[in-house]
Amino acid sequence: MKAEQQLPRNALIWIILAQFSLVALHFERIPLWILLVHGVAAVWRFQVYAGRWSFPGRWVKAFLIISSFFGIYFSFGSLIGLEPTVALLLAAFALKLIELAKRKDAYVILFLGYFVCVTEFLFTQDLLIVLYSLLNVVLITTALVALHQPGEDRFNYRSIRPASVMLAQSIPLMLVLFFIFPRIGPLWSVPIRSHTAKTGVSDFMRPGDISHLSQSAEVAFRVQFDGEIPARSDLYWRGLVFSKLEKGAWTSLDYFDVPAGQRKHSPPKNLSDPTSYTVIMEPTQQNWLYSLRYAMPAEARVKRSSDYRLFSPAVLEDEFRYRVRSYTDAVLEPVLSDWRRRTELALPSGLNPQTEALALELRETVDSDRAFANRVLRKFNQEPFVYTLRPPMLGEHPMDDFLFVTQRGFCEHYAYAFVVMMRAGGVPARVVAGYQGGETNPVNSTVIVHQFDAHAWAEVWFPEEGWVRVDPTAAVSPDRIEWGLEQAVSAEGTFLSGSPLSPLRYRSVLWLNALRLRYDALTWQWQSWIVGYDSQQQYDFLENLLGEINPRKFALVLLGSWALILIPVGFSLLGGNRVQVRSEEDKHYRRFCALLAKHNLQRKPGESPGEFAARCTDVLPAAAGDLAYISDLYGQLAYANEGTNSEERLEKLRQLKRSVRRFRLPAQRKNPA
Amino acid sequence: MQTDIAGVKKIREKLRSRFRKWVGRRIPPSRTVTLDQRRIFIFPSRVGFFFGLSLLVMLVTGINYQNNMTFALTFLLATLFVVAVLHTYANLSGLKIHAVGVPPAFPGQQAEFELLLEKGRKRPYMALRTRWPDSTEVVTSLVDEDSARVKLHAPVGERGWHHPGRLLLESTYPLGLIRCWTWLDLDLYALVYPRPLASEVPGGEATDKPNGASVPVEGDDDFAGFRTYRPGDSLRQVHWKGLAKGQNLQSKQYTAYADRSAWLDWEMFPGVDTELRLSHLCYWALEFESRNEEYGLRLPGVYLEPGSGERHRDQVLKELALYGIRERVK
Repeated sequence: MKAEQQLPRNALIWIILAQFSLVALHFERIPLWILLVHGVAAVWRFQVYAGRWSFPGRWVKAFLIISSFFGIYFSFGSLIGLEPTVALLLAAFALKLIELAKRKDAYVILFLGYFVCVTEFLFTQDLLIVLYSLLNVVLITTALVALHQPGEDRFNYRSIRPASVMLAQSIPLMLVLFFIFPRIGPLWSVPIRSHTAKTGVSDFMRPGDISHLSQSAEVAFRVQFDGEIPARSDLYWRGLVFSKLEKGAWTSLDYFDVPAGQRKHSPPKNLSDPTSYTVIMEPTQQNWLYSLRYAMPAEARVKRSSDYRLFSPAVLEDEFRYRVRSYTDAVLEPVLSDWRRRTELALPSGLNPQTEALALELRETVDSDRAFANRVLRKFNQEPFVYTLRPPMLGEHPMDDFLFVTQRGFCEHYAYAFVVMMRAGGVPARVVAGYQGGETNPVNSTVIVHQFDAHAWAEVWFPEEGWVRVDPTAAVSPDRIEWGLEQAVSAEGTFLSGSPLSPLRYRSVLWLNALRLRYDALTWQWQSWIVGYDSQQQYDFLENLLGEINPRKFALVLLGSWALILIPVGFSLLGGNRVQVRSEEDKHYRRFCALLAKHNLQRKPGESPGEFAARCTDVLPAAAGDLAYISDLYGQLAYANEGTNSEERLEKLRQLKRSVRRFRLPAQRKNPA
Repeated sequence: MQTDIAGVKKIREKLRSRFRKWVGRRIPPSRTVTLDQRRIFIFPSRVGFFFGLSLLVMLVTGINYQNNMTFALTFLLATLFVVAVLHTYANLSGLKIHAVGVPPAFPGQQAEFELLLEKGRKRPYMALRTRWPDSTEVVTSLVDEDSARVKLHAPVGERGWHHPGRLLLESTYPLGLIRCWTWLDLDLYALVYPRPLASEVPGGEATDKPNGASVPVEGDDDFAGFRTYRPGDSLRQVHWKGLAKGQNLQSKQYTAYADRSAWLDWEMFPGVDTELRLSHLCYWALEFESRNEEYGLRLPGVYLEPGSGERHRDQVLKELALYGIRERVK
């Protein structure tokens, strides 16, 4: 193998390091056996390096490739989708390691490595992950540099330096490109995530679902209000509306459940005093968007449904940002259509007979719908109902068990029971789910809504007033609405009991809490400016910066900023100190050599002054004395370690100068041999 | 069809020679070269194109997934490429290449061309690959030392001055994505002696000289006269009396019983072609040298006193090599 085709050992070690660092990120979402394959590949390659095993033959390689395909197929159930594709890529990555023999194999594996970084970003663009990926890029680039450092037989950690320097010089250039490069729409459709679990409130609700969600400390979304932040008790983030109760679960109305004429939502009345805000949602793999009622979106990719929900036609796979204007006093649907009335009164027969009977009883005692609602709320308030994160299991008639037996439940139980009773009493009502409250981040005045803020409440229809929000949980645990879940269940001690390490449990530790909040603020900026940077934002940003946008300005900014960065870089690389500093003695000696050169006596490279003088003496024996004197003097000045300003040195310099000036070549000379 | 191929070949040759002339103008011959922007060529390597292709795939992935971090990584790698151009160029810029020398060789042999690579700036120069079109390849790095000697072996042609062609000095350090190179004419010529070809003994005599003059040969036997003192002569052989008498410094000479003395003469091979003559003369020079006999050289325009020893041999061979060639010093 030619020298240039060989793989330095140093490079091999860096490659393995980079590979492990890359794969570590994916361990949550790929089958475990792929990690095993990586381990085996590393061991095999190490054994090859140690001379104990040999590279696999063609049949072994074919077997490994085919079994990987099958393995992935069986683990995921199909080869279609983003996760199987990524798993295939990682399997190829591992197998390439085993057959890493020559330099061109190394190029393939390293460029694959860059691609593996990209695949990580297709799943998450979290700030910490991105920083870790930057480290991976440094490792891969270091391996690339090590590949071109010949003769490195042992691990040399210093290979990281040229790579880091080059990347550091590239980052400012990259930033310019990032902000300027036009964002265009997708060119064709690509495999999407099919094996990632959904997060957040889902589109059907059973008793226990919300309390289950409340165990998570993940962030659901963040909100930045243009003006003042409303009171916590007003922050009802409405996302899902459940109008159908069947088989023990509440579900929303499908598009086709609604008759054609009523699919478009009728515009509400009394639109005044809007509250404007921006929401950035974490990906949920669902379509629902959360907002304060009644919300009007500011962009085209957010749609509204007939029950005044906001949703995105495309599933939320990445962070999703939208701007909203909310009119909290708006009157929704003051007049109900017959169909609507029927739907919102429907109850499956025989599911909760006792509850329905009680409802009818209570309805008799009051004369208006409103009074009826209040009567039910009073029941929740005055009787010994408990708000708990650990509600007991319910039987065949869930609400009957809840109301008459256990009397312990979470928000979904109270909402469920309330809506059943309303419907049974002839008042149209529906369950609404979403989030309630949220933590205000003092660092940047955003509201952070976590999964444990998930909540279910109800909407009741009164004539002239339309749909009115009624929250039965408030009747049982007003702390929940005023202060949040932690406060509400503090006596119980069940807040985030499944996540002992979550920093949200240690809010009393001031520095930890401050750190968490600062990081959250940073995440907001990160999501807002970098991850969510789209063509609209780009247009606004560049227009602010440059004024009118035209291609010439684009080019100018690009070239200008790049020149600003590349020119100093160029200087630092190319303007380095020259090895020979032209000192005084060098100047004189050079003149001396030039004189001799005119007579064909070139000083050979690498020849010392003494050797040169001896050679010249052969040719010009008559000038022997002068030659020796000058060469000797120069040697003393150039190689002796005297102080630069000592008298002796200056004197010698003067003498050298004089002798070189006076040096004349003798007229006669022997012909060179 | 035939004319087409011939035509294409002609065009190629034309382009090639044009290119060579252009390079020759830009990088004239010189024994010492400092690389600067006139002499350095830079272009992405094949791996660099492959890299560009990978970046394109990444860019399309970013566009299709509308993923900003993918864009960021793609742009970072693209700008890394741009920065690497500067670094790769700087790895060659300022480098000094000196032609040290090449000892003479016989046709078909590998001559050893020696170069000196020297740092022009304080930074290290890494993975410098040097070779001539037909020579071996050496990869050098200048890290701690300021200079390094490089020896390349290239086969030489027929007698005379052999120019190995343009030296290719290239490097793809640090990332292998960009290739930076130069072609240097180091004005370095190898002296190629004539190919020694055996012939019948010149003049038909096995051991005797072709013409009568006998030349004393160093030996131990009989006193054979005086000759001028040569540095290296034993001081016991010096003719002190003669010096005392006012003569030049002389050595006494003793001969071994030897009738070996020879003149290599042009006229020894009448009617033979020039090159062949030179080849035969060369062969016999080597023969005599191997037998430790003295030999002189007589060619049209050349007269060399008989002698022996390595220096004498080199002189003789040099005259044979350069017969008829005008440039005597390269």
